[in-house]
Amino acid sequence: MARVAREMVEKAGINVDQLVKLLVKNAAAELTTYYYYTILRCNLIGLEGEGIKEIAEVARIEDRNHFEALVPRIYELGGNLPEDMKTFHDISACPPAKLPKDPTDIKAMLTVLVEAERCAVRGYTHICNLTAGKDHRTYDLSQAILNEEIEHESWFSEFLGEGPSGHFMRRGESSPFVSKFLR
Amino acid sequence: MKVFTKEEVAQYNGKNGNPAYVIYKGKVYDVSASFLWKDGTHQVLHSAGVDLTNALEQAPHGGDVLEKFPVVGIILSSGRSQTPSKP
Repeated sequence: MARVAREMVEKAGINVDQLVKLLVKNAAAELTTYYYYTILRCNLIGLEGEGIKEIAEVARIEDRNHFEALVPRIYELGGNLPEDMKTFHDISACPPAKLPKDPTDIKAMLTVLVEAERCAVRGYTHICNLTAGKDHRTYDLSQAILNEEIEHESWFSEFLGEGPSGHFMRRGESSPFVSKFLR
Repeated sequence: MKVFTKEEVAQYNGKNGNPAYVIYKGKVYDVSASFLWKDGTHQVLHSAGVDLTNALEQAPHGGDVLEKFPVVGIILSSGRSQTPSKP
């Protein structure tokens, strides 16, 4: 634990225990999403599915990176991950991104993907709002993750015909915003 | 439709096997089936059995997220104006 760092956050008026719980729930959401996206990616096949597979894979890898980036902050603030994996799954801040009943229904697949990203966008916006101007490190981390989650949402939203994302695909390394927390 | 007082809704806090009800703009929603309301708690900060109308103003989503949950009643209020009209 980073004792003084935690004290500074407490002095700024944040309920650190609540914040840690929130970070653990979001870490659970990231790791479970990584798992469920693995299944979704495997099922993104055929002419339509293959077109989405690559961005689903980028989102999958970046969600795993978000988990990796969140964990050190949880422990710095005096928190920890649950010992039991099922407990961890069940406290996730977002519902499981489960494979639709008909995996050949590409719209259903995209809906699962975009809803997962929207849950994450809401979650990190919430953490940014809680920590802005008070817990600079958690804010910086959450904002970095939020940047990537917003991009994921817009990619899937674009495929659903909701309008252009305005982006091109990742060029080079993944996690352009979060990578500084992974070194 | 059943009419609740806020005190009655407070019993539906999602704990110890109780259903999880929340109040929003005079309507009582049953959110028991939601993954995000396990044990009557939502995102660490919110509890079932209470009026979330003000809390939802600060939330990163609108009241529309409640539309997928069943409305199990309305809130008895001193001011009739808070009673929702029938659709």
